[in-house]
Amino acid sequence: MKLAIDETRCKGCNLCTKVCPYKIFKEGKRPNRKGIVVPELDRPERCTNCRLRNLYGRQLCGVCQLTCPDQAIHWTEEEPYEPHKVAIEY
Amino acid sequence: MTRTEFWQGNTACAEGALAAGCNFFGGYPITPSTEVAEHMAAKLPKKGGVFIQMEDEIASMASIIGASWAGSRAMTATSGPGFSLMMENIGFAAMTETPCVVVNVQRGGPSTGQPTMSAQGDMMQVRFGSHGDYAIIALCPATVQEMFELTVKAFNLADKYRVPVFLMADETVGHMREKILVPDKVERVSRKPFVPGTPPFRTTDPDLVPGFPQFGTGQHVHVTGLTHDERGYPAATNPGLHMALVKRLVDKIENARYEMADYDIINPDAEQVFVAYGGPVRTVQQVLHDSPNNDIGFLRIRTVWPFPENALAEFRNARRFLIPEMNLGQIAREIERHVKVPVKSIPKLGGELHTPAELVAALEAKQ
Amino acid sequence: MSFDDWYRQDRLPHIYCAGCGNGTIINCTLAAIDQMGWKKEETVFVSGIGCSSRAPGYILTDSLHTTHGRALAFATGVKMANRDLHVVVFTGDGDLAAIGGNHFIHACRRNIDITVVCMNNQIYGMTGGQGSPTTPKGCLSSTTPYGCTETPFDLCELATAAGANYVARWTSYHVKELEKAVKVGLETPGFSFIEALVQCPTAFGRRNKFRQVADHVEYLKVHSLLRAKRDRMLEAGEHIPEDMFVVGELTRRNRPAMGVKP
Ligand SMILES: Cc1ncc(C[n+]2csc(CCOP(=O)(O)OP(=O)(O)O)c2C)c(N)n1
Ligand code: SF4
Ligand code: SF4
Ligand code: SF4
Ligand SMILES: [Mg+2]
Repeated sequence: MKLAIDETRCKGCNLCTKVCPYKIFKEGKRPNRKGIVVPELDRPERCTNCRLRNLYGRQLCGVCQLTCPDQAIHWTEEEPYEPHKVAIEY
Repeated sequence: MTRTEFWQGNTACAEGALAAGCNFFGGYPITPSTEVAEHMAAKLPKKGGVFIQMEDEIASMASIIGASWAGSRAMTATSGPGFSLMMENIGFAAMTETPCVVVNVQRGGPSTGQPTMSAQGDMMQVRFGSHGDYAIIALCPATVQEMFELTVKAFNLADKYRVPVFLMADETVGHMREKILVPDKVERVSRKPFVPGTPPFRTTDPDLVPGFPQFGTGQHVHVTGLTHDERGYPAATNPGLHMALVKRLVDKIENARYEMADYDIINPDAEQVFVAYGGPVRTVQQVLHDSPNNDIGFLRIRTVWPFPENALAEFRNARRFLIPEMNLGQIAREIERHVKVPVKSIPKLGGELHTPAELVAALEAKQ
Repeated sequence: MSFDDWYRQDRLPHIYCAGCGNGTIINCTLAAIDQMGWKKEETVFVSGIGCSSRAPGYILTDSLHTTHGRALAFATGVKMANRDLHVVVFTGDGDLAAIGGNHFIHACRRNIDITVVCMNNQIYGMTGGQGSPTTPKGCLSSTTPYGCTETPFDLCELATAAGANYVARWTSYHVKELEKAVKVGLETPGFSFIEALVQCPTAFGRRNKFRQVADHVEYLKVHSLLRAKRDRMLEAGEHIPEDMFVVGELTRRNRPAMGVKP
């Protein structure tokens, strides 16, 4: 699973940066086009739900999503892993 | 088939509600309307309906609006002080187009006034008492028979037009006892069905009434007292939308006023014409009965709001309208707006009906 | 399904200010409802007036956004008219305890089968930050510019004294606990009251030295006293600091209730 912040909804309150046990959300640095400083994700693959949701078949942790007052945090299914063909140019 | 009973007006009102299929009553005791609640408390549970005594009249009005959205034919009954408390939620019912019936057995006001005495002092309050522009329907019974029949009618009009409908009785009619013919069955009009998937507050019908999306039927309707768009979503800062919504709420009632007008005309060629509703109707009837020449006109109104001004025009020879009311001339002023000839208000406060002699004196007086 | 499926997606983002705790409380409530397996067509949300009371407008069920303070009276009508409906009320501290105080105690007394979630931001948020019946002593608001001097209500004690079957208090920090408490409330027949202390950065935080939203949430966290701990402290005769408030399940009982689905 892939963690993402919906920029159309986030109001930049930074509550997610407070509640994640892994400190995945970091305060953003630059305002977006709406003037909102959306948090950045620091190695989101560490998130419990990213790693284990499909294994357990249910939502895990999810504290950031419950806390986010603006319903801006969600997960999307990732493309299944495909081994890359490496074209080697001599 | 009918059966004959000897009932008090308030009993007839409650029985009319039951006959009309009322299955929810939320109320708070107040003289002179309490018998309506007491009768409903005794009868409703046996018929599978709900009677609930709320903590005040604000809550009573709220409860019947909630019950109406959950699909009930819902009613409350009160008098002046309670009626004043209901005003905010009455506006909510008008704004949200919630069918419901409110009985006001009027007593002397202002304030606590004369709890056990008769009055018609709330006739303007019922029309304009809540803030903002809106429209409602108000019916005035003059007999115990009409307490029954107009209550039935109130439910049907409420469902047909999706609007709060008021039975504006007075203590005289509410507490008098007389013979009444009770029908086995009464007419029942249903709410306009809702077309699933359409915006809940849109209507393209000429009557301007949208279908009713009852709670619990999967329509996911949002009901708000805020100015709302056709989806029911708040749109409180859109001037055009507010104008269109409020105009529709008023027009759906005002445009139908000839259709729902309910009145009797006696001696349309008369020059002197009484206009009355509720208790004073009875004194006018006595005056007409005693009059030797049968030349007094009488307009007896049952639907006071929306006001059936077309009925006034039927008295082509009228030189004067005389309006006995148990207030200081509330409907007289409405009548003045519609006629060119003099309108004489015959006000009476204190809780007693006009005597025939008082009306005869007014008739004979030049001014 | 997840709680996100209960939102009217076409209405988001909502009107709440950045960092307003109300959105968190709606998430937790919807998450609890989602777990109940209720259908949308048998669930009705009712509210009064205030920022908190705007919540039902964002939820994809039948919803009734009523007049200030009267939500419980409307909800009583809905529930008694059709007991098959699950009725959940969102309210604010002003809506519930000031103008609606009488309806609150009577709904508790009747023990009517409704669940009430009160977003207590200790202020009148929507009207711009006036003092409410839960504004703590000393706090600043536009109508208590020298500090509030009146004693605030303890809404949970009020609900318990008035007869509610289930009473709990949490904060916008305790999202998991709150979700669980709402779920127990939904499961409990009779009147369930869940108070959620929330931050209102715009009308409360700004005037009361919470510069950052997170500071206020931190305050709520560190001033929460778990009920079990409070009981131990009471037993040991220890002093409970006045700025602490109890969180947890405070009342759970099975008194006769009204309007329960047959
Ligand atoms: C009868 C009435 N009085 C006053 C108001 C104005 N008003 C709107 S919201 C509000 C206060 C709401 O406070 P609260 O319930 O705590 O909700 P919050 O906005 O804090 O969530 C007031 C006084 C109103 N709408 N209706
Ligand atoms: S909690 Fe939600 S709204 Fe607030 S910063 Fe994080 S993603 Fe944005
Ligand atoms: S689900 Fe939990 S671990 Fe994952 S990002 Fe959110 S708070 Fe962090
Ligand atoms: S004023 Fe306060 S309660 Fe209202 S939306 Fe803003 S932060 Fe929330
Ligand atoms: Mg508040």
